[in-house]
This record gives sequence, C-alpha cells and structure tokens, in this order.
Amino acid sequence: MSGQRVDAKVVMLGKEYVGKTSLVERYVHNRFLVGPYQNTIGAAFVAKVMSVGGQTVTLGIWDTAGSERYEAMSRIYYRGAKAAIVCYDLTDSSSFQRAKFWVNELQNFEENCRIYLCGTKSDLLDEDRRKREIDFHDVQDYADEIKAELFETSSKTGQNVDELFQRVAEDYVSTAFEMSEEKGLDLNQKNPNTYFYSCCHH
Amino acid sequence: MAADVYKQKNEDVPNGSLVPPDRQHAERSESPTPGLAQGTEPGAGQEGAMFVHAKSYEDLTGADNQDVIPRSPYQTEGAQDELTKMEEISKDFSELSTQLTGIALDLEEEIRQNEEDKLDLSPQASRRDSVLSGEEEEDVTMETWRMHQKHVFVLSEAGKPVYSRYGSEEALSSTMGVMMALVSFLEAEKNAIRSIHADGYKVVFVRRSPLVLVAVAKTRQSEQEIAQELLYIYYQIVSLLTWTQLNRIFQQKQNYDLRRLLAGSERITNNLIDLMARDPSFLMGAARCLPMPAGIRDAVSSCLQQAKAKSLVFAILLSKNQLVSLVRKKDQFLHPIDLHLLFNLISSSSSFREGEAWTPICLPKFNSSGFFHAHISYLEQNTDLCLVLISTDREDFFTVSDCKRKFQERLKKRGVYHALLEALHTPFYSASQVGIPELRHFIYKSKSSGLFTSPEIDVPYITEEEKERLLGLYQYLHSRAHNSSRPLHNIYYTGPNENLLAWVTSAFELYVCFSPLGTKATALTAVNKLMKWIRKEEDQLFILSPQTY
Ligand SMILES: Nc1nc2c(ncn2[C@@H]2O[C@H](COP(=O)(O)OP(=O)(O)O)[C@@H](O)[C@H]2O)c(=O)[nH]1
Ligand SMILES: [Mg+2]
Repeated sequence: MSGQRVDAKVVMLGKEYVGKTSLVERYVHNRFLVGPYQNTIGAAFVAKVMSVGGQTVTLGIWDTAGSERYEAMSRIYYRGAKAAIVCYDLTDSSSFQRAKFWVNELQNFEENCRIYLCGTKSDLLDEDRRKREIDFHDVQDYADEIKAELFETSSKTGQNVDELFQRVAEDYVSTAFEMSEEKGLDLNQKNPNTYFYSCCHH
Repeated sequence: MAADVYKQKNEDVPNGSLVPPDRQHAERSESPTPGLAQGTEPGAGQEGAMFVHAKSYEDLTGADNQDVIPRSPYQTEGAQDELTKMEEISKDFSELSTQLTGIALDLEEEIRQNEEDKLDLSPQASRRDSVLSGEEEEDVTMETWRMHQKHVFVLSEAGKPVYSRYGSEEALSSTMGVMMALVSFLEAEKNAIRSIHADGYKVVFVRRSPLVLVAVAKTRQSEQEIAQELLYIYYQIVSLLTWTQLNRIFQQKQNYDLRRLLAGSERITNNLIDLMARDPSFLMGAARCLPMPAGIRDAVSSCLQQAKAKSLVFAILLSKNQLVSLVRKKDQFLHPIDLHLLFNLISSSSSFREGEAWTPICLPKFNSSGFFHAHISYLEQNTDLCLVLISTDREDFFTVSDCKRKFQERLKKRGVYHALLEALHTPFYSASQVGIPELRHFIYKSKSSGLFTSPEIDVPYITEEEKERLLGLYQYLHSRAHNSSRPLHNIYYTGPNENLLAWVTSAFELYVCFSPLGTKATALTAVNKLMKWIRKEEDQLFILSPQTY
C-alpha cells in the first residue's frame, strides 16, 4: 500500500461545452475523444504526477460540469484551489461572459488562487479565422487587470495544452518555495492545507 | 478460501447446475408453493432485505387504498388452503382458462395490430436512430414526431416546456399550449393521473406539482404502466434538483424556465425512457443481480463492507445495470426506484469512465429534500464494474475515494478480484441451463428481497424489436396481474408465437415464456421444475447475505 500526495489542487471552470474535459483528457491521457458530447456530471477528479525542474509535483485536477444546476455547490470544487483554469470557447462570445463570472467568484472567495484564462478550440480558428468571437488583445488586457495568465489552446491538436499545465505546476512550485522561505518551512514537511490522495501501485 | 473460490467455475458443474451441491441450503423448502410465506421464497435474503418494500404502482394508488391488496378469487387463503400439489395448481389454471380466452384474443389482436403498424413504422424507426446518434434537432413541423411510438413531455404548471423526448421544446410549446387546455381539467386535484384515448393513442397525464408530465403513447402498455414511467421521469428530475428546490423555484417564480437548471440532463432522461422499454427492472420494481458463485459474492461484499467511512450510507457495486453487491448502513434501506435512477445515471454517460466523479444526487424515495454526494468510478478502465459510494458529506471526497482504494486492495489481497472479473464474463445464463426443452425465457422476482433473476433473452428473440416485443408481452401480463380493479394471480396465455404464464403470489412473481408447441399441462410441470431450479441456484442468482455497516 502506497499513498500519493496531492500537492496542488487545480480546478477547471467555465461554461458547459467549452472544452474543459477535453483539456484534461488531452493533458492526462494525451488523447482527444470524438463522438457525441458527454457532459460532465457533478465533477471528476484526476491526479497527475509531473516533474518541474527535477522535482515531482502532483496536481489534483477537478474537472467541473459548469452547469448552473450545482452553482450553489461549486465552492466545494474550488475551495482551497491553488490554481483555476477558467475556460472559454474562442468561437463563442457568451462563454467569455461566463468566464468573467467565475473570475469574480474566485476573487471574492479564493484570493490565493492563481487564475489562468484559457481560450479553447483554437484549431477551429485555423480552419476559418472568422470564427473567432473573442479578441486576443481584449482578453490580454483583462488578464493583466486581474493578474491572470492567458493561454489559447486546442485539445484537438494538443497545441499549448502541456504548456498551460506545465506553467500551472511551475508557478505552484515557485510560490511554494517563496512561502517556505518566508515562513521557514521545510518543503518536505506535511502542509496541513494539502489533501492527501492515495492511489494504488502494485 | 481463495482456492475454494476459484474452483466454482460455471462450466465445471454438470446438469446445468450453477453450483456444487454442498453450497445448497438444505433447510429451505425445495418446492415452493403459492402459500409460501414472504421471506421464505427463493431469493429471499437470509438476514433481511436491502430494499424498501415496494409494491407495484404504489405511487399511483391513493393513500386510502394502499394497504388493501385486492385479492382475486383464485388466490388461496390460509394454511389449510395451501396449494401444495400440482393437481390443484393445474385446476386453478384450468378454471382460469375460460376467463382468459378474452384476454388472449384481445392480446393477439393487439399483437397483430402492432405487426401491421410495424410496416408503416419502419421509415420512422430509422429516423429515430438518426435522432439518437446525431445532435441535430428534429423539424417539428414535419409529421414525423407524431409517428414515434411514445412521446413524453414535461411542463411546468404554468405551461412552460421543461422536457420533450423528440424535437425542441421551444417549437413544441404551441402543442403544449393545447395540452395545457387538456390539463386544466385536472386543476382540482394536486396529484392527479388521467388518461384519454384517441386515434389509437393513449394520452396519459400525471400531475406532480409543480410539474405536469404527459405521455402520448401508441404502445400496448396500460395506463398504469405509462403513468409509472412518467413518475420515473418525475423522480429523475427530482434526483437532479431535490423536491424542496423544485418547489422553492416555482413558488418564487411561477413561470420559471426550468430548462436552464436541467441543461445537460436531457441525455439522462432520454436514456431512462429507452431503458424502461428494454430493461425489465423497471417493470418488476426490483434489481437484477449479476449471477456469480455465492462464495465470491460474499467475499466481495465483505471487502466492500470493510472499506467503510463514517459518512457512507450505501456502497453499490454494479455491472451494466446488474447488481453485484450492495452494502448499506444499518437501518437504512434503499428504494428500488432510487437504485434504478442510479443505474440509469451511470449508463447514460461515458463520462464516469474518466477519473473519479463526485456529484450531488438526491435519492427521491429515500429523502426528496436533500442531496447526497455520490462517488462514482469504474474499478478499471476496461471493465464494466462500477462502484458507487453514497456519502452524506460533500466535503468527504478524499475519505470516500480512499474507501474505493481500500476495497480494491482488499479484493486483490483476498484473491477474489480475478474471480470477480471472471464472473463478469458470464453476466447472463441461458434458459437452456434449466433443462426444460420448451422453456424460452422467464423473469422471477422475490418480493421480500426486491431482487429478480432472468436468463438472457435468446433465440428466437434475436432482434431488438423481438426482444422488446417479448418484454411487451411481459408488460401486458404484468398489467393484467396487477390491474387495480381486477388483479389476476394466474394467467396462462396461448399465442401463435409463444405461450406465456404469469403467477403472482404474496411472496414472488413469475413470468415464463414457452415455445408455442407446449401445452398447459407441460407448462405447469415446467413451472414446478423451474421453481425447484431457482431454489437450487438461488445463492448464485440472488444476494442472500447482504452486508451492513
Ligand atoms: N475542434 C475542437 N473541438 C473541441 C476542442 N475541445 C473540445 N471540443 C469539443 O467541444 C465539445 C465539448 O467538449 P468538452 O471537453 O466535453 O466540454 P466541457 O463541457 O467544457 O467539459 C466536445 O464535442 C468536444 O469534442 C478543441 O480543442 N477543438
Ligand atoms: Mg466536461
């Protein structure tokens, strides 16, 4: 029996259908599933071990449904998150309004959560540039304003997906390092705020 | 222990028996009779039931007549009348036959009618497939939607569309307006059920404030059955929102558009309607068990029981809508309807195959006012074994997730994991294993355990249509057997394609399908033999020793 520790909680937020599940799927399993849309029910958790500068970091990723139905309960999914990947569909302007809603939520309830704005389905723009409904520079201005990072990704081609999660992990490690310097904490010491997630290895 | 478990492979056992003789319960009556008391019938759990006792159509009957179970003159009363001998049972059936000619004719006619219908239905049948596979919305102005076998609409009491099985709700809202006019006559009663017959259609209304559910059906199903399906859809909606929230919403805003909150759930409701047409679990109001050697099931159950946590209320291990094991908190019982809703939820989405899901869920028959949190995950990527852990604490994900891990570790340590996977390879047994040549198929339900068993639907019911037709026949017999004004406890029906028998007692329900070559006499002998076989195999076919926390 061996346990695995989740270092950083990462939450995927955004309107239904923007491509959150596909993003996780591409990142964790390096694949893109085609076929009829399967909306996420509630939320799905998956742990992913990665390495940042020789150090291993386990991301505990919460892929939320994004439906209004459980909005009142969505806090359980983002509470204590170190990073939030707030997704919008580059070809659907309404999804950006929804992204702003999540940014507000995070600013109000999770001050310490880093925000990563993620414009999805960039491959659709490669096919036809007129499909873009969200201007890159407008979002960049918004991102600067809320101190967020901005990525445009495609889960279909894999473009920018690893970069996004790598950045999330790097930021986590450097913040954790800063914090440990400030407070003089040992990085290897158990942080009471992190969850412990176990998984079997045989 | 482990070695013992591995020996029990189905194929090794002669005479169509699924179990070595030393596993059988000698103390249980070998030949069950109609007078068999509830709790001693084949399949009855040894330490009590896992489920709430559910009666057929219990929600459809008014509170006042719920306790009165109507008895037919053919049901025997008291120990002295117990029909223990086959002659008496056979007399019982022959008395019935006169009365049943009417039914048989009427059934045959309906079948014939249905077959005629099938011809003009075929273009639309393929149309339906395209609707299910594609995402395109149907053009409602086409006549096509009216040609579907069964339409289901859900609307709010203010007449706002909530759900429609085919086509977009928006375009149908004018149709719904017409329906509202029809519904207005229901206004006096809050939880009314009404039906009208027109043009070969049955239109059934079920009102469960603040929702109204309507089915327009061309099927042979009885009103009761259609109403029961509508209630399932109602419960499905409640399971997503809770009854409390549903009511609060409409109290605050009468013409609220509920589709906003239900977004993404259409797939679940569509799946439920399709499942109800295919899976006898809904008709039987019971859960189907995955057959497996009792030793393995017991070992799995105890592993599951040991992986407990304070907040866990139910742990359910299933495979493709069949129950493998269920552990519950002491004194807490699951209702079959709630279990069916869980089965439906899981089978409606492949999203549970990724990672571990953690979702709020209301089990309306258990408690319609609050949410549980369900941890849903498959044991392995490529198996159909799915574990559902129902917790009262939404903050408890990691504890519950740990229970799953402990369960899996324990399974492997005790050496039962492979045996469990093995059992999944044979999720169905064949009716031929019973050793009755004319027996084609059967459904047997133990009332006290709320579990049923049924072999694979086999030749000659190969196509989906044929399978649904057989289920339709069972539905018909079931509705005759449970008819509220005149229930029948024994039915023997002879038809051109098959002979059917239904036998309902206070302890069990049995529906059997025979080849049309058999006679009533052979059917009666066969039923006796079948009941003995079920008794002999009961510890494989049922969960006889359920565990609790
Ligand atoms: N072309 C393209 N389609 C995508 C991409 N990501 C997601 N999709 C599609 O968008 C739909 C919704 O994706 P999903 O990840 O389930 O969205 P979620 O509801 O946010 O989890 C699916 O049909 C996906 O196939 C992408 O990068 N490119
Ligand atoms: Mg999703």
